[in-house]
Parts: sequence; structure tokens; C-alpha cells
Amino acid sequence: MQVKINKARVIDTRSAFHDQLVDLSIENGIITEIKAIKKPAARSFPSITVDGVESWKGTAGAEIMISNGWVDVFADYREPGLEHKETIESGLNAAAAGGFAHVLVAPNTQPAISSKSVIQFILQKASGHAVTLHPMGAATQNAEGKELAEMMDMSANGAVAFTDGWKPIQNANLMLKALEYVKALEGTIVQMPIDAALASGGLMHEGINSTALGMPGIPLLAETLAIYRDIELVRYTGSKLHITGVSSAESVAMIRKAKADGIAVTCSVTPYHLALTDDMLTSYDSAYKVSPPLRTEADRLALVAAMADGTIDCIASHHRPHEWDAKTKEFEYAADGMAVQESSFNIIWDTLKEYISTERLVDALAVQPRNIFGIEHNPIEKGGNASLTLFSTTDSYTTTTANKKSVAMNSPFLDKQLSGRILGIFNNNKLHLNK
Amino acid sequence: MALSVKHLLGIKELNAQDIEQIFQTADNFKQVLQRPIKKVPTLRDTTVANIFFENSTRTRLSFELAEKRLGADVVNFSASGSSVSKGETLIDTVNNILAMKVDMVVMRHSASGAPWFLAQHIDASIVNAGDGTNEHPTQALLDAYSMREQLGNLKGKRVAILGDIMHSRVALSNIYCLNKLGAEVVVSGPPTLIPKHIESLGVKVEYNVKKALEWCDVANVLRIQLERQHKPLFSTLREYALYYGVNKQMLDSLEKDIVIMHPGPINRGVEINSDVADSKQSIILNQVENGVAIRMAVIYLLSGKRDMNE
Repeated sequence: MQVKINKARVIDTRSAFHDQLVDLSIENGIITEIKAIKKPAARSFPSITVDGVESWKGTAGAEIMISNGWVDVFADYREPGLEHKETIESGLNAAAAGGFAHVLVAPNTQPAISSKSVIQFILQKASGHAVTLHPMGAATQNAEGKELAEMMDMSANGAVAFTDGWKPIQNANLMLKALEYVKALEGTIVQMPIDAALASGGLMHEGINSTALGMPGIPLLAETLAIYRDIELVRYTGSKLHITGVSSAESVAMIRKAKADGIAVTCSVTPYHLALTDDMLTSYDSAYKVSPPLRTEADRLALVAAMADGTIDCIASHHRPHEWDAKTKEFEYAADGMAVQESSFNIIWDTLKEYISTERLVDALAVQPRNIFGIEHNPIEKGGNASLTLFSTTDSYTTTTANKKSVAMNSPFLDKQLSGRILGIFNNNKLHLNK
Repeated sequence: MALSVKHLLGIKELNAQDIEQIFQTADNFKQVLQRPIKKVPTLRDTTVANIFFENSTRTRLSFELAEKRLGADVVNFSASGSSVSKGETLIDTVNNILAMKVDMVVMRHSASGAPWFLAQHIDASIVNAGDGTNEHPTQALLDAYSMREQLGNLKGKRVAILGDIMHSRVALSNIYCLNKLGAEVVVSGPPTLIPKHIESLGVKVEYNVKKALEWCDVANVLRIQLERQHKPLFSTLREYALYYGVNKQMLDSLEKDIVIMHPGPINRGVEINSDVADSKQSIILNQVENGVAIRMAVIYLLSGKRDMNE
């Protein structure tokens, strides 16, 4: 297959063509030609052709930006076990629509991704798709937080990192051993910062809103204490930790300091923690029930600042798909989470476009996740493997119930027009274009 | 005149005019309740369902009497032994009841916010009879109404709410109601049972019960849920009774007579001693009596009827 992308702006600080308009040819997955356009003709529009046939043509003022393919570092697809929420195929289609060329999936399956055979099943199901799936293995057997899982065997079979996902490891000694154990693999433990005992019974961020709403609160301490403990465990073990879903000002301050101390701790934030606060909960709408919980405006602004200065390394969609029934319940009984993978870029860009550059956006979506999880970089240059996300920062997009690719129904961002548009991805010698 | 709301979900959604109107209407119904025939036919064409997903004796009885004395037809539904235990959703349960031409729903539920959720999905008017740790609006209305009978206008009056503030929907609704009526509120109890951010609601915190009693005109003593002592919230009932319970000796040491209230059911000898609960200062049974008139007023006003005696 031959793909030509004409008049696209390269966002890749590792490439000689960074911030230049180029014409680019790809054959059999390899960039065979890349040519800077010195003086663009006044009436030439960006376009994409596949085997000589024009597949997409921009209108006046349209732009294509291309960067290295984006990585979602934490998402749930519920196959095997809970396919009515999301299958691997529907999830990968949603990822492609959202501009992600790589997805790290959490072991939130039944059975949990806790053995070589489940890793192999998932990789086999995902093979042949434009999006590359990277399973994260459970750090403890069946993600039960009791005994270490077979992380070496899972690593040898394709697990990219280890986490107990939505059930973060509570026992400090077990966490210490998990961090030590993966040092032999140069592996990374991924942990969601929640102290389950302190969070127990809580339904939303403990604060003025939870008090006014008569809702049991989750104290901020449940997050900061978990982060403090885990940073100290990494300091002690010299291992690598990725904290996913940081949600507060204090959390990013602690991580900023740990990084300055030279500790190998990195972190990611969800699109919805960047965009929303606990003010959304005043009507007891379970669409906004997430874990960690939405926090205050001061916290949100601190997250935005930490995205801008790079304290927050990358983005994790925390895509957590559910069927309609699981969410349409009394708040207490409704399931946690939002399914926002395919809207991630729109949510982020809608929130951050005045605060961060396109380079920093691509750094967080494409560069840092590769550094942290050891995924190959594919610079945009002649002879390179083509792994690309094609996007526009000036256009806008509305994900709707009709056009969404995810099976899930639980996104409060459905039917909202947001900034930015994903045109598609090119990865694994496959082109996916959004219609 | 109608209320500014279609449902009575919480006091937080009412304005002071709504509360005043409920009180005035309750005054009229209280007179009806003194008559030989304690009943009006106003709601004879109306059916009310009392849907209780949590145990309740007195609140349900009070609502049922209020509805019957307004002439309404009444059906009762309780969660135990019902379809809820078979996994039916709240929306399905209520829609099934409404399909039998029920006009109004009175609901108690263990989940905070459940009536707000229900209001998004059904057409009928909803009266919240208590939701989780959130609100119990008719209790707050009857409490404020009873205080007003004793003290007149509540503006500037001092009310102490004692006990388990954290888990009490009575406390939260009382705070909202008393704030709207201009009263000052202090909450008092063990620090483990007082929410961290409660001062953001415009109340003061006093851990020493004696000091709270010295300060106040009215003490509203809340029930301690006996099962809470096994979650690490306080040590023993004995210690609670000794240091947070209200007894006669404590009241006698004050230089004034304060009004004693309790939403019931009472744990005698725990949060309140019998010599206080049964004293002249106690208006606990007035509260129960006023509860029926207040609930008649709320249901009548939400029904949209115009004439109380027709």
C-alpha cells in the first residue's frame, strides 16, 4: 500500500522537518520520501491519497498536523470476560478514532491479565489492527494484592508494565517486593494512587461540595499518602514507578519534588481531571463518578500547570467502559469511570489549548510514553517506520452516540462540540481515517 | 400560591418563602387535627405511594396519617421481601407503581441523592423521606416549626445540634432550614462524627457538649446509630453516654431553661437520659404531633390543590 500525505505540518522535535509543511510518501509502512514545501501554492489544500486515489481533501484553511503515533498509557478493554462493556476490537476502533496508535490495557478482565496465556490471548485478538495493543500484566496474582504474579513470564510474552489497575496494591511490603522484582526486567510498576482504607465508603472528593451534598467523602489524604508511600518505596528500591491518575495540587507537588531528587517516578493524568471539578456533582449525576474523584478548581489548575511544565509526563484516558444500565443508578450503586478514549484529545485540547504548545501536547501523547514504557520511537524521516497520528488543532469535533466507536455509553462528553479533530492514524502499515 | 419547587427533595432547594408557606399551611392543618373529625377530603382523587427502601416506623406512619387525613388513597411499599431483593432497579420499581395511576411518591432510600436521581426519570412529584446521609427535609421542617412554637421567630435564636452529625440527614436538613430562617447553629459531638468541612455550611463546631448547651436556646439531640461503635468512630456506648449524653444534672447546671428536642427513636441512657427526655423542657412529643401537620402541608402544597377544605 502506498500512502501520500500532502501539505502536512510535522510536529516532531526529533525530526529535521519539525514545524515544516511537507509532502510525505509511505510504502509498505516505511517513509520513502519526505519533502519540505518551501513556498506553498496559494490554492493547494492538504490531502491524503491511498494507492493513487484521493481519500481525504482539506478545504480552505484546513490543516493536517502529523506526529509520531500517540500512546494511551492506561485503558480498560473488558475482553476476556465482560465483552458487553467493551471488546478488544471495539476498544481498538475507539483508540484509532481518538488518534492513538498504541494502547496500554489494564488487567481489568475476567480472568485478570495475570498469566502468559491471557497475554497471548489478548495479543492474538489485537493482531492485524492499525492500533498496537500493549497488555499490562497484573503485579499480583489475579490482581488480588496477595502474592506476586508471574511478571517475568508475562514480560517475556509481551507485557509492557505491571499494575493491579483499579485495585492498587495496598500492602507496603508487597509493593516493595513488586518494585524490587521488576528491576531484573527493567520493568515499571504502574500504580493508581489510592489508599483503600482511607477512601473506604467515600463516593466523591471530601470537601465543601461533599459536605453540602451529604455525600460520604474521599479525603485527599487517600491519594497523597499513597503517593508519599510509593515514592519512598521507589527511593528505597531504586526501581521505576508510574503513578497514573494524579488528581490534586499536592500530588503533583510531591512528584515534582521526587523527580528533582532523581527518583524514577513518572505520572499521568486523565483528560477529565484536567477538564472537570467536583462542582459537576451537585445534581448527583453518576456520569461524574470516577476514581480517583474529581477535585477542586485549585487542583484542576495545578494539574494544568503540571501538564505545561512537564511534571505530568503523559496522558492516560482511564477509559472505563460501561453499559447504560451500570451507570443509570443511584450514585452510590452506579459504576465508576468514564469511557472517553476517543474524545481524549478533544477534551485535552479544549482545556489546554491556551496553556500548552503543540510540541508539549505531542511530547505528552507520543514521546514521554515511549520513554517510560520502552516503546520504539519512530521519528518522521526518510527510511523510518511510519507510526503517525494525523490531527488538526484548529478544527473541532463532536463525538456522538451515533458516530462513536466504543460500545460504552458512559461519557458525559458525548454530543459536546470540542476543540481539535483527529483525522486518523497510520500504524502497522494500516491507515485509519475518521469519516 | 404554590411552592417554588415541583418536588420536596431537600431543604437546600427551598427558599425562606417556601418554608414560611409550609408553616402557615401546617397551622391550618394543625387546627384540622384538633377537630372531632380530623380529616379533609382535599386529596380524595389522589393516590400517594410510600416507598421505603430503608426501615422506618415513625416517619412512614406519620406520612401515612398525613395522607389519609388529606383524604388520599395510600399504598405502602417496603424493600424487604420486595422485588428490590430480586435485582429490580429503582426506576423500574417506581415506574411499576406509577403505572397503576399513582400521583405522588414519598421515598426513603439509603443512598444519598437517590430522590434527585429519581426525579430525572419520572414525572410524578417526589417527597424525600430521607436519603442516605444527605437530607430529611420534612423532619427539619417539623423541627423548625416546633422550635417556632416555643420561641417565636427563629431569627437570631441559637440552636445546638448534638451527636452524630456526619451520618445524620436530620442534621444536614436542620442546618439548611435554620440557616434560611436566620437562626445560629452549633454542632457538637465527638470529632470523629463531625464532618471535616461542616463549617463551610455556616455553622460553628463545639466538641464540648456542656459548652454547647450553655450557649444555646434549643438543643436538638440526635440518635446514635448503635452499629457505629464498631467502625472506629467512638469507643463505647458507655463513654459516649458519659461524655456526650445529655442528662438532668447537666441541664440543672445551666442558668436557663433550654428546649430539648430529639427526632427519635430515642436510645434512653445513651444520647439522652429519661429524666431529660420526659422533662417539661422536652418537646419530643410535640415534634411527633407537628410532623403530621407539616407532612399534610407539604403534600397538599405539592399536589397543586387550591382549597384546603374541599
